[in-house]
This record gives sequence, structure tokens and C-alpha cells, in this order.
Amino acid sequence: MRLLLVEDDRLLADGLARQLEKAGFSVDSTFTAKEALMLAEQEDYRAVVLDLGLPDGNGLDVLRKWRMNRASFPVLILTARGDWQDKVNGLKAGADDYLAKPFQTEELIARLNAIIRRSEGRVHALVKAGNLELDENRQSLKLADGTEHSLTGTEFRLLRCLMSRPGHVFSKEQLMEQLYNLNDNPSENVIEAYIRRLRKLVGTDTISTRRGQGYLFNDLV
Amino acid sequence: MTSFRKPVSVKGTLLALLLPAGILLMALAWLVHGLLLDRMSRQFVETRLEDEVAFLEHQIRDSNGQLDVLQTGDYFQEVFHHAFAIHSDSRTIISPETWAPLLMPLLESGQEGTLRVSDARIAEAPSDILAYRKSFRVNDQPIVVIVSEDLGALSRSQTELHAWTAVVSLLLILLLVGVLWLGINLSMRPVVSLKAALKRLQDGEISRIDVKAPEEFQPLVLQLNQLLDSLDQRLERSRDALANLSHSVKTPIAAVRQILEDTDRPLPNDLRQQMAGRLDDIDRQLEAEMRRSRFAGPQVGKSAYPLKQARDLLWMLGRLYPAISFEMSTVLTEERRWPIEEHDLNEVLGNLLDNAGKWSTRFVELGLNEDRQGFTITVEDDGPGIPPDALDTLGTRGLRLDEQTPGHGLGLAIVREITERYGGTLTFCSGSIGGLKATVHFPGTTGGIKQ
Repeated sequence: MRLLLVEDDRLLADGLARQLEKAGFSVDSTFTAKEALMLAEQEDYRAVVLDLGLPDGNGLDVLRKWRMNRASFPVLILTARGDWQDKVNGLKAGADDYLAKPFQTEELIARLNAIIRRSEGRVHALVKAGNLELDENRQSLKLADGTEHSLTGTEFRLLRCLMSRPGHVFSKEQLMEQLYNLNDNPSENVIEAYIRRLRKLVGTDTISTRRGQGYLFNDLV
Repeated sequence: MTSFRKPVSVKGTLLALLLPAGILLMALAWLVHGLLLDRMSRQFVETRLEDEVAFLEHQIRDSNGQLDVLQTGDYFQEVFHHAFAIHSDSRTIISPETWAPLLMPLLESGQEGTLRVSDARIAEAPSDILAYRKSFRVNDQPIVVIVSEDLGALSRSQTELHAWTAVVSLLLILLLVGVLWLGINLSMRPVVSLKAALKRLQDGEISRIDVKAPEEFQPLVLQLNQLLDSLDQRLERSRDALANLSHSVKTPIAAVRQILEDTDRPLPNDLRQQMAGRLDDIDRQLEAEMRRSRFAGPQVGKSAYPLKQARDLLWMLGRLYPAISFEMSTVLTEERRWPIEEHDLNEVLGNLLDNAGKWSTRFVELGLNEDRQGFTITVEDDGPGIPPDALDTLGTRGLRLDEQTPGHGLGLAIVREITERYGGTLTFCSGSIGGLKATVHFPGTTGGIKQ
């Protein structure tokens, strides 16, 4: 399995490359963002290990460029900064996992295998309706103005259900099946609360209420 | 207007505003005084002239139109200080004689009531007069009576009075300036002492501001002292942290260096493991102290959007733990803010959720709620849970219930520490579906800096 390792600390890069080769990867190493961009374009990698602090640029920018060019290989980010916000930013930029330095090589390999397994058979799956785009892999919503919003599990499932058949009225009972809840018997209010939250994101008119029947996705708005 | 938008000093602004306003008002009062004076004296003269005409008419009627019988001469002039003219078919009396050229045209004019002659150029007669003319008949004999007054004399005394008023006004303005200056200086005195206190604070002579500030400045002084308190505490904390850190980091570094420097010494596996263990110690200490040093604690002017932050974290953990569904139930709206520093809230939410994610089998639910008592965060998972007797010790630093799920101890300890800094509580109990339920409660008023 070909793997690209982008890390500017030579000692760490050499050590990691050796360990990864031992674990069965065929590793290409690079120390700069520029070369990383070029290599990823030319070669076909199964996974990338990316350090965020590179001498000639931010690893996140490299990652964003890859994702903009529809590069689909899974990426594991390495960084010394373990802030929650950094992790969120890393994943929003398109990373699949995140590992804070220092780490144990076994954990890195385990995580790499996990994201490779997850990415297998993954296709670029988009649900489009109206001027909204729902990214199934990233569980995120892209609005007409280009902004991306992260969704929680239930929000995503509800919206996917509604967007799958624009104009079709879904009853509250049908929508309730998309719900995971600690409560065994979720009340219909829960659905209403979720719809309210979704409307905040997609616009009030995009999800219409049919009194006594349910909700429908209005793709003509 | 720029001076109002960008006040250089309070004193300057007050003076710039009050002084012209005072002068303007004074000038206005002086002008109005002049107008009123003019109108009042005119009216007064008019009524007097009218009265005198009526008196003369009465006299003429009493004497049956015999003008000769009237006590004329300078009588009127002496008693009333007014000139007059009486005209009948047979006779015309004008007193004083020098006024004749002035009054004759009026006698002939035929206009009744108050008359005004101005800019008349006649020797020995005034140029400006006010006259009252009345014609009536006595025994079928038409008679015209005019009484008039020299307006020049009147306006001269009037002008004198007006001038004196101006002088008094000027004096009053000077007085006003003095009072303004005094008032401003007096009311600014606490600011001056505040300024002096700040200077002494800067020079290190005092450590807190202790000024009897007026009511308006009391919150400012209080806030400033609180800020100084929190700065002191922060300095103390970071010094402690650094001292702890250097103590716990330097020794392992020394040990590892010692081994690496000894080139003759072989590096067997157990020695490698020992060295790695030491490095792990360093990392753990560094991580713990760094995360603690990032806590902000309650701070004025800091708030976070809990819903937005929770959504991002739930989404991220959903990516990292694809088998687990991270859900949120909340009554909050997107725009709701909590008075908790953003990074602190992220640490609380992130660590609780991450911990739940490690233990749960397929479901984690985050609850965000608020009521009169404050803000509540609950995180519940469907994992195996922990035995009731271990609930109390959870989140105490260094305790790891299960070595196979690393980081458990530190994360919850961080949550506990942040929560306590906000005067809140962290409690654990068994959830409704057997897993662990963590509840963080922040009191509603997080004002004031608690430690």
C-alpha cells in the first residue's frame, strides 16, 4: 500500500518511514508542502500522513487544496497542538483522523488501517436538491452561498430523508425512524425541534409543514 | 462639532459647551429685556397721553368749550411734563410755543388716536414724538386736543437703563465662568485622584487602587481591582505550573541524556523501554500543565455560542468514531450565548463527549439546557457504565479506570477543574440505559472571579 508521509522533522520522518515500511506500507517521504502537493497529484496513494507545521506552508492549506481537487485518499493529520478547535478545523479541512504528537507508532498504524478500511469503496456521494448539497461521507451540508455546515447524526439522516424525495410529504412517524434516541418512545415534539434546527440552516421555506400530514422538502425555493 | 465627537478632556468639553451656551443665553436675555422695556414704556406713555387727553376733554366740557377759561399756560407742562395743543374754531392753544410747527400738521391731519412723528427737523422742538389726538364737539363746536411727549428723552433714559443691564449681564457672565470653572474642577477632583492612584500603581508604589471614588466611578475601580486580582492569580498559577513542570521534566531529561551520552553502554530493550517511559512522563506532564494553563476561567466580556461549538464537536467526533451516533437535545437557539470562555467550553464539551465516545457502543447524547439556576450540560452514553462506588472518584486526576482506553483520567480531571473555576459542579451517575451520565452545572451568575 503506497503511503505519503509529509513531515518536516527529518529524524521523526526517517523513524516513522522505517516503522511504516515494517508494517507493510510503501512510503514516500517529503518535507515540504510544495512537494507534497505535487506528489499527491502525480502518484496514487492509499493514504497520507500529514504534519500541520511545514516549513513552506500550513498543512491545512495543502489538505484543502487536495480536497478541492477531489483527492479522495484518507488523510491522517499529525500535530503538536491538541486543542479541540484545532481538531475540528483539521477535520473540517478534510482530514479523516487526527493524532497529537507524541504518539505511539502502533496507534498510528492502527488508525491508518482504520481510515483506509473506512475509505474503501467510498465514492463521492452527494445528495442534491434545490440549491443544497448534502455530502454523505462528510455528513455536511453545503448551502447555495458555498458555506459548509456540519450536521449531527440525526440532523443529517432527517435532511437526507427529506431531500431524497423533494416534494414528497413524509409523516412524523416516517421521520421518527431516522431518529436515534435514548428515550424508547420519542415524542413528536422531538421531530419538531429537529425540523426547527434544520430550518435555521436551510431556510424556513425550504422545509414546509403539511398540517396533520408531515413535512416536505421544497426544492423550488 | 468635532470637539464633541472627540473630546480631548472632560473639562475642555464641559467648558466648550457651557461657556458659549451661557454667553448666548445671557445675550438673548439682554435682547429680550430691551424689547420688553421698549414695549412697556411705549404702552405706559400711550395710556398716560390718553388719560391726559380725557382730562383735558373733561375740563373743556366743564367750561362749555370756553377755552379761555381753562387754566392753561405752562400748567400741563409743569404738572404732566407734556406738550399739548387745543384747537377750536375760534382759537388754537399750543404749549410750549416751540412745538407749534410739529403739532400744527397733526391738528390738521384729521387722524385720531396715537400718532407718531419721527425725524422732524424743527429747531427747539424734539425730532421724535408720540402724540394722542382726539376730536370731539362741545356745544356744537368742534374741538381737537393733542397731548404729546418727547420720545427722545424717553429713549435716552431707556438706552441708559439698557446699557446698565448689559454691564450687569457681563458681570454675571464673568461670575458664571467662575462658577463653571469651580464646578468642573470640583467634580473632576476624584478623577484627578484616580489618575494619581493609577500613576502610583504603575510606579509600583501601591498594588491596588484604594480611592474614595464617586458613585459613578465605583464600578470602574472595582473592575480594575478585580482585573489586577486575576492577573496576580494568573501569574502565581503560571509560576507554580512552570515550577512543577521544570521539576518533573528536567529529571527525566537528565536521565535520558546520561544514558545517551555513555557511548560504551549498549542499549538493550529494557533500557529503551525505560527511556521511552521517561519521555512519556515528560509528555504527560507537559500536556497536563499546558492544558491547565490554557484555561481562562470566568472573565468579563467572554462568552461562547454553546450550540455552534457543540455541533462542531459532535460532528467531529462522529467522523472519528464512525460507528457511534452523537446526538444533541437542546432547548437553546443558535444565537444563545453562555458567559463561559469559548476555549473552556470547548474543553468541557470535548472531553466529556470524547470520553463518552470511547466507552459507548453506538450512542452518545449531549444535552444543553438552562434555567434560572444556571446552565447544564449532560453527556450520556450507552456503554458499560461504571460501578456506583467508583462514581465519586471519577475525574480525580491521575485516576485511570481502564488503561486500555487512555486519557480517560486527564480529560475528566480537566473538566472538573474548569467547572470548579466557574463555581460549577461535575457529577456522575448511571444513565437511563446503563451507561455513564455526566452532568456539568454552571451557576447562572458567573460574575465575579471565583477561584
